[in-house]
Amino acid sequence: MHFSLQNTKPSYMERSELEGSEVYLQENVVFEQGKKYLIKAQSGKGKSSLLNFVYGLNTTFEGQIKYANSLSFSVSCQRRFSYVFQDFKLFEDLTVLENIVLKNQLTQHKTQEAIETMLQTVGLLAKKDTLLGKLSLGQRQRVAVIRALCQPFTFLLLDEPFSHLDAVNIKILTTLINQELAAQNAGLLLTSLGSEYLFDYDKILLL
Amino acid sequence: MIQKLLRKTLMPIQLAGYSLALFVGATLLLLIVQFYYDVKPIIKQEAAVFDQTTAVINKEVSLFKTLDKSKIYFSDKEIKKLKKQPFIKDLAPFDYAQFEIKAFTNGSGDVPAFYTDLFFESIPDQYLSVDDNAWKWQEKDSLIPIIIPENYLKLYNFGFAESQGLPVFSKNTIKDFTFNIKLIGQGQNETFKGRIVAFSGKINSILVPHNFMKWANKRFANKTAVPINKVLLTFNDPSDERIVSYFNNHNYSINQDKLALGKLTFFFKSALFFVFFIAVVILVLALAFVLMSINLMLQKNKKMLQNLISIGYAAQKFIYFYQMVLAVLSAVTIGIATFVVFKIRHFYLNKLYTMFDFEDNTNFLLLHALLLFAVVVVCYYILLKQKMKKII
Repeated sequence: MHFSLQNTKPSYMERSELEGSEVYLQENVVFEQGKKYLIKAQSGKGKSSLLNFVYGLNTTFEGQIKYANSLSFSVSCQRRFSYVFQDFKLFEDLTVLENIVLKNQLTQHKTQEAIETMLQTVGLLAKKDTLLGKLSLGQRQRVAVIRALCQPFTFLLLDEPFSHLDAVNIKILTTLINQELAAQNAGLLLTSLGSEYLFDYDKILLL
Repeated sequence: MIQKLLRKTLMPIQLAGYSLALFVGATLLLLIVQFYYDVKPIIKQEAAVFDQTTAVINKEVSLFKTLDKSKIYFSDKEIKKLKKQPFIKDLAPFDYAQFEIKAFTNGSGDVPAFYTDLFFESIPDQYLSVDDNAWKWQEKDSLIPIIIPENYLKLYNFGFAESQGLPVFSKNTIKDFTFNIKLIGQGQNETFKGRIVAFSGKINSILVPHNFMKWANKRFANKTAVPINKVLLTFNDPSDERIVSYFNNHNYSINQDKLALGKLTFFFKSALFFVFFIAVVILVLALAFVLMSINLMLQKNKKMLQNLISIGYAAQKFIYFYQMVLAVLSAVTIGIATFVVFKIRHFYLNKLYTMFDFEDNTNFLLLHALLLFAVVVVCYYILLKQKMKKII
């Protein structure tokens, strides 16, 4: 499976603002399954918007996004994408484990043990019954990543996923993500402000 | 998990408020509708076999008229003039028997032996509101259905039967008895069976089916038309003031009590309708209240619901959840309301039984409660769907 952006541009941005972009307003930018893409940009350039367009959450764009020859974004498309949102979209009234299980109940992708193993890996097993509202931003970021891994996907979308984490934790998470990408033969789209070389990118695109 | 999240969005005080409003509205509505069904036959029975907007007129009998009987008849001109009055919708002259009639029994069973002269009158069947199955006669039928004035039964039960030590009859038991009727005239006679099928409160007469009267008059009196001495009127509006004054001016006698009863039923029905209207308003307010609550709740939890949709939950799932909560709450509330109405009905029926002689009616309460529940649930489904679409 692949998807491509054709002459895409956020409706609310001027053409002049997008000069030099290797993604927006390009004739055909193809993202292929199994490959890793880094999308670099300064803030305000539409990084989150790009992922939201791809995920179908936001439709205020011009041009076209084609999903393996189908034009529209559908529920079946959503099932093929897993997304770590910049604002996490976690539920403060639920515990760490409940937040993850909430997603896993939809997909039945991981067992309870697998989830707890992942929590153990990122050092949050002791906090599994703590309400999410009591966690730090860095801890929440880790919960959001684990939740995103609890579903079958062909593309993983990461929106500045490590902004609140230290080098050790980033290393742990990238290893975890790499394992899951390999297991599912999935592609990766990661947006970032800087140019940290965290994954073996197949392509780095400037937004 | 999703249930736990959604349950947190519910506001107990608002649900309680809705429940209370629905309870008041449902109780009133169910009570009024059931009460209407229960009381309808009593009104019908009390107001007799004519419907509410009819009355019978005849000419006043004075000293002169006892000497010259032709004065008590209505002329064609008078009938035409009556027909033209704006408050009169329709009129039908009475037909009466012009032959000898004897009624008698042999005194077998519970029926006391009697032998008496009788008279019959008739009007076209469409002016009578009696059961069509009971009120029919065809040539060669030996059974004649008869309507007698309610007063006759009272006179018999509380006057005659008391003083002569005879059994008393209720309206229902007397309908089971038949007696013999002998028609004599033109040198012939024939015996029929007679049965009382209904009672009239509005008219002091003994009525038989119209086609029987026509047949019998022809056979036993050789007459097809008789002079008109009594007319049945149908009014557009029985409370019209012109009615009484017109009849007073023309010296027509009219039973004003019955007109008053007509007015009373009109007020009674209006009052019932008014309470029904109030009940509907309360129900609509209860619905509006729950909708505003839902709106507020969705607005308050907009972000959470959007997040749920972002991670793959379908909006249909939320609609289903709120639908279930409201359905269960409504079912319990309407259930309690039904129970309360059931108790109240039991109470007022006992009161009514002591005052009136009437048959128990079908209890429509459960059916109406189910109907109300269905309407309420369908309303929520449609409105929830629309609201959810708007917000997410």
